Amino acid sequence: MQTAQLTWHVRRNAVAYLALLPMAAIVVFAYLGTMAWSIRLSFSSSRLLPRNDFVGFAQYTELFGTSRWLTSLENFAFIAVFFLAICFVLGTLLAIFIDQNVRAEGLFRTAFLYPYAMSMVVTGLMWQWILNPDLGIERTMRDMGFSGFVLDWVVNSNTVLYAVVLATVWHGAGLVMALLLAGLRGIDTDLWKATRIDGIPAWRVYAFIILPILRPMIVTSLVLLSISIVKMYDLIVAMTNGGPGNASEVPAKFIMDNLFERANIGLATAASTTMLVTVLLIIAPVLYSQYLGKKGSSA
Amino acid sequence: MFHKTKSLAHTAMALTIGAGAAHAQEAEVIHFWTSGGESAAISVIAEAFEERGGNWVDNAIAGGSAARGAAINRIIGGDPSTAALFNTSQQYHEIIGEGLLNDIDGVANRNDWDNVLPAPIVDAIKVDGKYYAAPVNIHMPLWLWYSSDALQEAGIESPPETMEEFFAALDALQEAGITPLALGGQRWQENLLFSAMMTNVGGHDLWTSVYADKDEAAINSPEFREVIETFIRLKQYVDDASPGRNWNDTTAMLISDEAGFQFMGDWAKGEFKQADQEIGVDYGCLPGLRADSPYVLGGDVFVFPRTDDPAQIEAQTMLVETITAPDVQVSFNNLKGSIPIRSDVDATALDECAALGMEILSDPSRQAPDASQMMEEYVYGSVQDIITELWNTDMSVDEAVSRFDSALRN
Amino acid sequence: MSVAELIAPAARRPVTSQQLWGRIGIYAFLGAMTLFFLLPLYVMVVTSLKTMDEIRLGQIFALPRELTFDAWKVAWSSACTGLDCTGLRVGFWNSVEILIPSVVLSILLGALNGYALSFWKVRGGNVLFACLLLGAFMPYQVFIYPLVRFYAQAGIYGSLPGVVLTHVIFGMPVMTLLFRNYYSGLPTELFKAARIDGAGFWMIFFTIILPMSVPITIVAVIMQVTAIWNDFLLGLVFAGRENLPMTVQLNNIVNTTTGERAYNVNMAATILTSLVPLAVYLGSGRWFVRGIASGAVKG
Repeated sequence: MQTAQLTWHVRRNAVAYLALLPMAAIVVFAYLGTMAWSIRLSFSSSRLLPRNDFVGFAQYTELFGTSRWLTSLENFAFIAVFFLAICFVLGTLLAIFIDQNVRAEGLFRTAFLYPYAMSMVVTGLMWQWILNPDLGIERTMRDMGFSGFVLDWVVNSNTVLYAVVLATVWHGAGLVMALLLAGLRGIDTDLWKATRIDGIPAWRVYAFIILPILRPMIVTSLVLLSISIVKMYDLIVAMTNGGPGNASEVPAKFIMDNLFERANIGLATAASTTMLVTVLLIIAPVLYSQYLGKKGSSA
Repeated sequence: MFHKTKSLAHTAMALTIGAGAAHAQEAEVIHFWTSGGESAAISVIAEAFEERGGNWVDNAIAGGSAARGAAINRIIGGDPSTAALFNTSQQYHEIIGEGLLNDIDGVANRNDWDNVLPAPIVDAIKVDGKYYAAPVNIHMPLWLWYSSDALQEAGIESPPETMEEFFAALDALQEAGITPLALGGQRWQENLLFSAMMTNVGGHDLWTSVYADKDEAAINSPEFREVIETFIRLKQYVDDASPGRNWNDTTAMLISDEAGFQFMGDWAKGEFKQADQEIGVDYGCLPGLRADSPYVLGGDVFVFPRTDDPAQIEAQTMLVETITAPDVQVSFNNLKGSIPIRSDVDATALDECAALGMEILSDPSRQAPDASQMMEEYVYGSVQDIITELWNTDMSVDEAVSRFDSALRN
Repeated sequence: MSVAELIAPAARRPVTSQQLWGRIGIYAFLGAMTLFFLLPLYVMVVTSLKTMDEIRLGQIFALPRELTFDAWKVAWSSACTGLDCTGLRVGFWNSVEILIPSVVLSILLGALNGYALSFWKVRGGNVLFACLLLGAFMPYQVFIYPLVRFYAQAGIYGSLPGVVLTHVIFGMPVMTLLFRNYYSGLPTELFKAARIDGAGFWMIFFTIILPMSVPITIVAVIMQVTAIWNDFLLGLVFAGRENLPMTVQLNNIVNTTTGERAYNVNMAATILTSLVPLAVYLGSGRWFVRGIASGAVKG
């Protein structure tokens, strides 16, 4: 009996392992393999085609001596922080307001969520157009008689990142809204009754009771948004192409340009390795605590 | 799906028409000429190729780097196209070094390219004594275009011939309330403007000694500083909405007489033509702002990825012959706005600006290589990064010089 | 029964002016936000219905003076890219051919991974999952070159299976994340009962787990349709000339290097290209929120 059970146990686990084979293969070959490969190349002198030589940290020295890369990193930090913060605040507000038993809820929800269906290229092109002083809001306002009206974010080095954040928030806030709205709908009504009896103001209930309950939703939405921000390339190309000057360059575009346009694989892989390490340092603890830490043993 | 049906139709045609005869040479060509004028130009080549019995399979991908990337990926992926539109910078040398291109020496020698083509073009495409690319056109990227009406309105009698006259004209335009210099604030356009200052302020020697020889003395010379200073001086003549503007929207400012001048390659002609503007009446072209201004030879080439398939090699040979045939050259370049790669063609069919270009080109001392051919891509990339930063920030001349120095001589 | 009803003026109680102002505030905020989110769509639609002459006037917010659908016709069936003047319609069908197998396969694999990871004790499963999530943060560009090499050796480079596999690879992190989290929120009683009855891995997956996965599958479909339909880079690199998706043609039409830009055609082409994901959002926005609410994106 015991042996039979053991055999059964092993066999059923074997099936589970088998089922995970595609995933394991993809992780090993497509993800870990390419990452290892690109880390390897970042220590070579590769230009257009990979070379197998070893030049130590030369590419990294060059990378961190390149002002465009440093600008890209700063821009990335700025965009990431403001994009995530504004998306979170706006998405939360939208969700809370929609949850106030409003009429035409479907209309509001759709209006806030549909941008997420648009590609980054379209998002970038549209906002480039609307914010362009020659064509968009500035010109319209001036034609209407407000001759001193200025909205030149896109063409001004000091403000171009605001324009980028605006476009990305437009694209991503709806996702936070949808996730949090779903969370709000799942909250026990007794909780509200209790807080009402205690006379706690609504905003305090949201800030100190509801949002902590929605933490998993918040983390998930931030993870999804972070993935899009790390990869952000199309939007920048469509909207500003990194300009004016280098004012809106981002790391993914630096990598792409060096991989293809500038045929500089060594530098590009050094840059992507740097990004990987950065992401690892920032994201890994979050992912670990949220998805693996407490459940890792019980799953 | 369309392509499938199209090639099926072609195969069917070949079977019915040319039954028994030689099978039509199928050539898949990757290129990035997707706009109206460009499509018209490439269709000249496609038609000529089909007239010779070939079967042109068009693969257009917008954007030079996207198309080149696709071509390289196809080569690496073992599924190369028959030909691809390319450039002749370091990428070109590297894929030749890896043995990924077929040479086209047969056609080249038969047609005496050594003597028919301008020397800088030969230098660019000939590697280790062999030809690996077929040049298709010569683009001079640094023409100065002007709107005749705008100049007239600002009281400018005749187009400028020197830098001093140019600045005087810019001032006059500014006073008349016209945007003096139309510029699209994109990296490549800012770079183009800087190149124009290199050739017009610095001249031929500075152009090659800084970019090709990367000569320390030249980079730190007063002449190069003057180039940088002149470039900075131009900032005040550009309108605020410049950043990010496309080059053709910028040319439109000249067409509507909102702006006076624009530095742009000869492809700008297409825009004027489409707007029914006439050379010499509505707009004009200046090859430079000094009597001996260098004529920079940019342009496009086709490369032919390595294959051992005799049918494909035959198709490649036929493509080279089609592309460089004198009649194809004239009609193609008229549509593309560029000038033919060979001097032995009928120049009467060319427009005024192209004819002027051909004439200048006949003087070898004014021929100059394109910047992209004098530097490896990554060096040129860094140079462009400096230029765009120089244009968009308050970088000092000293810092610019030292940045150029480290980028070029690293 | 949520906050909504507590804050909303109940019919029987007299409405205090504070509550009234509260309602006005809610609608004002939602209304203003709706305008902000709809603005780009409005500009796109209006522009696509104008003639080029009218567009040159530069009033991008004005309604078209004379309505014309020519731009739509051109974009769909006769816009030129290179020598082919066949508009977007070819790409549309190519995109459909890529979309369907990619969505189905990536969701099936995501569900399978999530199921194996959360219900079966698989050693190293969490490590694999962590690597996968980390991979989601790498820019695509890094993977391209090695994958091209790998595909070439496998003989699937530049083919439909090639591009489908690529979408499966890059969709896997988020899909696995969604399903894993959903399944770990499901009650385990059914699963345990089935195991005691002797049901095996696949049996439980197909008869118990999959039928319970409808809400999360809707979320997954929405996200994958959006991501795959909007993809440009992977399609361009991996699909091969005969399978190029609609976005590549859109890029050819919109980003031509020279020549006059027909903004109305560009806008029409852009909207046409976005129609599929937009339709999915409009049609299933309500299910999206419900799917998430049913525990889909718990942490």
